[in-house]
Amino acid sequence: MKRFPWIPWRWWRRGAQLALLLLFVCLFRRTEYAGADTLPGGENLFFRWDPLAAAAAMLAGRSLIAAFWPALALLLLTLLLGRFFCGWVCPLGTLLDIFQRCVRPLARRTQRRLGGFLHRGDAEHSRKDGRDRSFALRSVRLFCSARYFLLLLCLVGAACAFQLVGFVDPFALLVRGLAFWADPRLFQSSDAVLTWAGQSAVDPVRQFFMKHLLPFRANTYHLAAVSAWLLAMLFLLEFPARRFWCRYLCPLGGLLGLAGRYALLRRVPARVCKDCGTCARNCRMGALDAGSGLAPQACNLCLDCVADCPRAIVKFTVPRAQPAVAALDLSRRGFLAACVAGAALPAVARAAHLSGANPSDPGLLRPPGAGDEKRFLNLCVRCGLCMKVCPTNVLQPAVLESGVEGLFSPRLAPRFVFEQTYCEFNCNLCGQVCPSGAIPRLSLEEKQKAPLGKAYFDHSRCLPWAKNTPCIRCEEVCPLPDKAIKVQKTFKTINERKEELEIQQPRVERDLCIGCGICEANCPLDGPAGIRVRRVDAPDPHTETQSA
Amino acid sequence: MDRKEFLRQVAAWSAGACAVPLFRIEPLAADEKPPGLLATATGKDYEALVTKVLEPLGGLKAFVKPGARVVVKPNIGWDRKPEQAGNTHPDIVKTVVKLALDAGAKQVLVFDRSVNDARRCYVNSGIQAAVESIKDNRVQCLFCDALPHVPVDIQNAKSLMNFEFYKNALESDCDCYINLPIAKHHSIAKLTLGLKNVMGVVSGNRGEIHKSIHQRIADLNLVVRPKLTIMDATRILLRGGPSGGNLADVKVLDTLVASADTVAVDSYCVSFFDLKPQDIGAIQAAKDLGLGESDLSKVKVVKA
Repeated sequence: MKRFPWIPWRWWRRGAQLALLLLFVCLFRRTEYAGADTLPGGENLFFRWDPLAAAAAMLAGRSLIAAFWPALALLLLTLLLGRFFCGWVCPLGTLLDIFQRCVRPLARRTQRRLGGFLHRGDAEHSRKDGRDRSFALRSVRLFCSARYFLLLLCLVGAACAFQLVGFVDPFALLVRGLAFWADPRLFQSSDAVLTWAGQSAVDPVRQFFMKHLLPFRANTYHLAAVSAWLLAMLFLLEFPARRFWCRYLCPLGGLLGLAGRYALLRRVPARVCKDCGTCARNCRMGALDAGSGLAPQACNLCLDCVADCPRAIVKFTVPRAQPAVAALDLSRRGFLAACVAGAALPAVARAAHLSGANPSDPGLLRPPGAGDEKRFLNLCVRCGLCMKVCPTNVLQPAVLESGVEGLFSPRLAPRFVFEQTYCEFNCNLCGQVCPSGAIPRLSLEEKQKAPLGKAYFDHSRCLPWAKNTPCIRCEEVCPLPDKAIKVQKTFKTINERKEELEIQQPRVERDLCIGCGICEANCPLDGPAGIRVRRVDAPDPHTETQSA
Repeated sequence: MDRKEFLRQVAAWSAGACAVPLFRIEPLAADEKPPGLLATATGKDYEALVTKVLEPLGGLKAFVKPGARVVVKPNIGWDRKPEQAGNTHPDIVKTVVKLALDAGAKQVLVFDRSVNDARRCYVNSGIQAAVESIKDNRVQCLFCDALPHVPVDIQNAKSLMNFEFYKNALESDCDCYINLPIAKHHSIAKLTLGLKNVMGVVSGNRGEIHKSIHQRIADLNLVVRPKLTIMDATRILLRGGPSGGNLADVKVLDTLVASADTVAVDSYCVSFFDLKPQDIGAIQAAKDLGLGESDLSKVKVVKA
């Protein structure tokens, strides 16, 4: 009879990986308006159990955020089980594994060449006498602890109120790459194929695709190409080594590795058999070294070594005596340097005008309820979910409007797509998906009273004011029952075609205006609108020259 | 075009030429109707009300021939609930669609180019759910994003010489266009009625239309000629239109007005707002283009 478990553990792991990848994809697809004002919930799950995002948001935001309780649970589980998350749960890790499978024949040569070199860097850490290293070896050694540098930079930076987590968090990179680039391309290519196949809007196959498989439309995003390349880089790094990102760069992996270093569950034996070494050669995480044995902070419990061991002696269990743990691949000097760099970041950023505490752009509008700019930037983990869920596509990643610090943080771009992009009056989905509360979960009534900005007419452009042409499209679309745009003056005129026209000159009732930007989006002018929304704290632009 | 394609098209066109007289054998019933017939009806049960108001006009069978491709064009422009009077009432849309199916329509499309997010408008107006509750695969409630649009040169137009239209609403793709507007206040056009409802089947920059709105609405109606207009005046919006949102601005009339002549329907409905047909520029412009009759003394009004 076969030994327990009857299905090998490795297959359990693969099953879990696929199931959680599927969960991730389902949640991603569900991050969209689908007919209900309230989303079913759980769309931000992958961020809420991300201890890196949780720590960074809480450190920078100087508050305990209860919504991150799953991250604490994960951390506790990691204390017991080790870095299982990276091997069993992480959807990016699963995608990288699948990608590796696909490109293995191509990547093998590069991996043989570079992998050995990198592996020496890994091994160097466990050598006690570190004097006679070459420069190249020293650099590789330093690189092998890059994930700790990124982690420290991120957390110390956050503690000093400079939020970096969005640049390095694996889920943020994944979601942004998928939402900003892959999803719209999926829509467009499917659309092209369906059209080619003669499936018009009334045909059932297209309707099935539209209803169940595709996003509602191909959204357009700033920084789509940048997000795509950042994500693509993680995949391209599979060529030099398997799980390159997870091994060397991922700060979340670094954090979980540190937490799981003294986990109860571990590989027995910790050593690698001198006459075999199959497991060390095959280890996707480079966690096994022929000399020093297992590095528990690297092992992601993929259980390949259990399955591959020719003698079938490897197992994962709770050993009676805690075995000695190999040295951590982070030097004291490296630790201090990363901490100092993290602490210096806000100052450097301010000196180089990279900080976004005082945005100079009066058009930089933040999502409803975001409040103070600095608070918002500190809490926001740049996960991209709000921009994914926004039904009108008005939420866009900021480029440099709020400094380098504000890169990828959400902002409103009314008029980005003509007539389409504005903040929908009856919608508060962005607050529902935000994992950190940077966009608070406002009720619809609260959200409808939270001004995003205030609209100002530009009398040098607005048709009734500048060109004696009837319009007030802005008044027509204003969603407030009382209309924040009123007619100030009405008069008759005759245009060049001898048509008698009635001109209504509009003004903004600024006390009522909530800055949703639907007026700006719908202004029929080419180029900048004749009515534009400015930050609530921005000064009057004095473009309403003829106001009463 | 290659030889095969050429031969294919020659065959198709000549087949079409042969087929045209066949279609003509049975004259369109709508043409037989005296043009100036207008029906109104009042009642609480909106589904029964639709049948009632259509009775004097000969029922929907008089407009929808078996095998016809029907477009039902309600107003689904706003992210508002039915009681807020921003959109056509879902029960009315549902009944018209049902009647069209009973009359033997081959296909019934329901769509409108909304101002707010289309998904939200379709859901909150209740129209999508109402149409889908019919559960007939001949009916489809479609988003305009998915529809093809074509530029159209508008013959005899005075102000708007060409514009983009959704192809499914044009005569080439639609045998019977049924206009289901709702009567609302509108600050630029004064009122939005049947003529203005056509703005929901045009693509492109609709703000352009506002530069000379009355004439341009009339010009658009040269392209899209509804076979039937049923005005939803069950609830009308007196102020804060066309989007509304405040229930205090809504007046419940429980009335439907139907006619093959959109201009007559609009002229009749202005009285709900204590206005005269002359006050509404679009009605005057449409009358001047010969699109219909605005003088109600020349129209036979039947109270059903």
